[in-house]
Amino acid sequence: MIHEPKRLSLSFQWLSPYLNRKPVMLTLLTGLTIVLFLAVSGLSRLYHAQQASLAVRWAGRGVDDLNAGRYKAAIIEFRTALLYDRGNGAYQLSLAQALLGLTRTDEAYAYLINLWQREPENGVVNLELARIAAGRGERERALRFYNNAIYATWPGNQETERRRVRLELIDYLLRNKAGTQAESELIALEANVGENAAQQTLLGNLFLRVGDYGRALAAFRASLKLNSENPAAEAGAGSAAFEMGQYAEAEQYLEKAVAAAPADTASARLLRTAKDTVRMDPFRAQIPDRERDKIVMDAFATAGDRLKACQATPAPSAAPTKKPAAGSPGTTWQGLSEQWTALRPQITEKALRDHPDLVNTAMNLVFAIERQASGACGAATEADQALLLIAGQHEEN
Amino acid sequence: MIPPVSAPAVELGASSAPGAGAVMHSLFREDRFFLILSVFIGIFAGLAVVCLRFAIDWSRIYLLGSGAELNPMRLLLAPTLAGVVIAILVIHFFPLSRGSGVNQTKAALYIYNGFIPLRTAVGKFICSALAIGSGQSLGPEDPSLQIGACLASALGRRMRLKRDHMRLLAPVGAAAGLAAAFNAPISAVLFVIEEVIGRWTAGILGSVVLSAVSSVVVMRMFLGSEPLFRIPPVEMRRPSELIAYAILGIVGGLASVAFASGITTLRPLCRKLPRWTEYAQPAVAGLLIGIIALLGAPQVMGAGYEYIDDAMHGQFTWQFLAILALLKIVATMLSFVSGTPGGMFAPTLFIGAMLGAAVGGAEHALLPHLGWSPGTYALVGMGVLFAGFLRVPMTSVFMVLEVSGNYSIIVPVIVANTIAYLISRALAPVAIFDALSRQDGVELPSMEEQREESILRVEDAMRPPVKLVLEGADLVDRAEKLAGGEQADGVLLVRLEPTGWSTVTREELMAQVAEGKGGETLGSILEGAGSAGARQIPYLHPDQPLDMALRYVDRWPLVPVVNRADLGELEGVITQHDVLERYRDFGGE
Repeated sequence: MIHEPKRLSLSFQWLSPYLNRKPVMLTLLTGLTIVLFLAVSGLSRLYHAQQASLAVRWAGRGVDDLNAGRYKAAIIEFRTALLYDRGNGAYQLSLAQALLGLTRTDEAYAYLINLWQREPENGVVNLELARIAAGRGERERALRFYNNAIYATWPGNQETERRRVRLELIDYLLRNKAGTQAESELIALEANVGENAAQQTLLGNLFLRVGDYGRALAAFRASLKLNSENPAAEAGAGSAAFEMGQYAEAEQYLEKAVAAAPADTASARLLRTAKDTVRMDPFRAQIPDRERDKIVMDAFATAGDRLKACQATPAPSAAPTKKPAAGSPGTTWQGLSEQWTALRPQITEKALRDHPDLVNTAMNLVFAIERQASGACGAATEADQALLLIAGQHEEN
Repeated sequence: MIPPVSAPAVELGASSAPGAGAVMHSLFREDRFFLILSVFIGIFAGLAVVCLRFAIDWSRIYLLGSGAELNPMRLLLAPTLAGVVIAILVIHFFPLSRGSGVNQTKAALYIYNGFIPLRTAVGKFICSALAIGSGQSLGPEDPSLQIGACLASALGRRMRLKRDHMRLLAPVGAAAGLAAAFNAPISAVLFVIEEVIGRWTAGILGSVVLSAVSSVVVMRMFLGSEPLFRIPPVEMRRPSELIAYAILGIVGGLASVAFASGITTLRPLCRKLPRWTEYAQPAVAGLLIGIIALLGAPQVMGAGYEYIDDAMHGQFTWQFLAILALLKIVATMLSFVSGTPGGMFAPTLFIGAMLGAAVGGAEHALLPHLGWSPGTYALVGMGVLFAGFLRVPMTSVFMVLEVSGNYSIIVPVIVANTIAYLISRALAPVAIFDALSRQDGVELPSMEEQREESILRVEDAMRPPVKLVLEGADLVDRAEKLAGGEQADGVLLVRLEPTGWSTVTREELMAQVAEGKGGETLGSILEGAGSAGARQIPYLHPDQPLDMALRYVDRWPLVPVVNRADLGELEGVITQHDVLERYRDFGGE
């Protein structure tokens, strides 16, 4: 037994000359390389499994904290997760969102811009970058990122996300008084809204905000067609119709809106004005002569009251005045007053019946007084507002 | 220069398609075998570096915890206790694994004929993994370099290579280790050429490149091909920004000098302390670094690549970046002078990145109209510290380019690195690696000094052209008459057609005349049948090193120095006496 090792070494001595030959050495080296590769591969699997598990564990905690609004903790956890999975875009995005939660915009921007370079088509990244740029007042960049986000790839329902981004962009444009750009975005959005009453109502309201009342009214009508019990759409349609000068239609919509939502004071006020406008318009079709004459006499009296009230206010000439319409009776209070006083004896039922042209003369003077008074003196009564609206409509016609 | 010799004739009967035996024989010629071996060295070094990376990460997780926010107790205890263990291992088991590893590799090349014990690799692996993982402010690159060199040396011994090849194996392994650790093969090759070998030859370069590339391939197989840092958009908007980068170069140069001076001053002091303190030094360094971390700068612990990444992406204020740079200098000095095994590459990059981003941030705060990209400044800052502290200007430029993958940054990098390098050289004449080796009592060749060495050239020793130059077409009679004025034993130069030169003495000419050959041309006599080219002599050019003249002047009494563009135009002549006189004068200078 004692001599066994020696015997063994002697028994392998014959191999020595062969082992020192280069081809044999290279073969042995290749074999050793394979063995080492296998060993390191095993270690590598262990290492990467541990790294992945740590990354997932920390990111999970981060997501919980992010959702709960605990941004500070979430930041630490996502940073830790990134230690173990450095290139993970989802973790970087979540970290950026947590940083944004703490308004650490510059740090978040650094992560987001890096992600954007890797994935320029990522919708979430583009949207976050757009928000940062919007917050910094970098309008061009904000618009670029918003537009990127609209055409980017989104997880889940692409159309819904893109619509959401476009709505956010429109809101941003409206806040920045870029009505024309907002309107063009709204027109693009219109095609994608589809048969969804709430979306149509939202679209209608946005069209109202950009002043495109025709499209707004169409959107509200579409919304009401899908869901007739929708006070917001009724109110919106009423507003749109009102702005378009379609007071009778506006009255119908607003009646329903106020009936369904009595607390909607804005609609109620608009309804009253619409009603007055319809009621006080002597030029509306199919109106009996007697009633028309009565309306003209009331309007004449209302304008007279307005004139007197305005003459009583100090330095009326200093007040800004609207330019009277071409061919209007006069431009100064004095002139208007003289005209009104001169015409007053003629504004009787009989005179109006005998001289139908007097209706136009009287109403032209009424409109001139209301225009002159508008913005120049005191708050107008609802009747004055109605007369002003009728003046505008009459002028258009 | 010896006149060109005609190419040897192709052997008749040689097969155009060599057999398997011939191929094998050719393959296993030692120089080719060396190249094959370089690939294996690269693979082994790559595998070792991958394992080192695993070991560092595992020790970090188990010693400091897996979270980014570290437990205060662990912050203090882990580096301290690990320091004690490291000290015991280094003192009792692996004494050669102390320090960075670059000088040890150079010593293997220049002193120990390429020999580095394999035990050193084992020690370096264990100790540096423990040190970096426990938070010592050191990096894994230099240990990887030394581990690669150790593996190469062990392999070379087993293969029984010639001494010349054995010497070169260490740098080949070093390049492989560094390339894998850095994920930057070009920088690794350049560093080894610039700092370790100091010369470029096709044979060395081929082996070094092969090993570096194969190690990087192996490393990327296991750890992925992502760079060490996420590189942000790199930009330079206006040429005037170069001034800002020049300021970074100045600050970086001064910081490099402070960093290097700190190490070279503290290291001998620590070595003078009683021997028993060697057990405590790494632990004390670890404890102090733990305290720095506890006070609010845990970023200084370990290699710190993740924080370089953060700095590049504007995650810190410039004031905090400046503090981090300062604290990292302190922490790295503590770790390194305590004898803890580990490298200085990563800390250098860390300090450079922090300093670069801090200087950029401060400049932006003062001059808001300046373009400001923390990533660009951090990248340039890394190059600046590399150039100023490690004193490898070429590697520093290529390192930044390789890491950033962006060539638009090259101008600021060159400007800042050059300034930092010049400041560092002016204020600290001895480079850090040379200073460390001298402290160890070893006089390794300084690559920086070698680069700067002025060499003597032929033009420094040659004398003006001789007045009399005979032509090959001259008749012997005429030549003998022309030479009449010369001394009897004087040597005469003969210009041969088309580009050759020869010499002849007056005595020889007289002998030829006496033999009745006065009507023949000098050329026919000097280049006569049966002695083709025998009387032709070599010639030199003025720009060639004077060493080259030494090869000829003892065999030929007079060597012509000719113009490179016209080999028939004589610019001067040189003799053995001229060469020796010049060398004697040069020694006096």
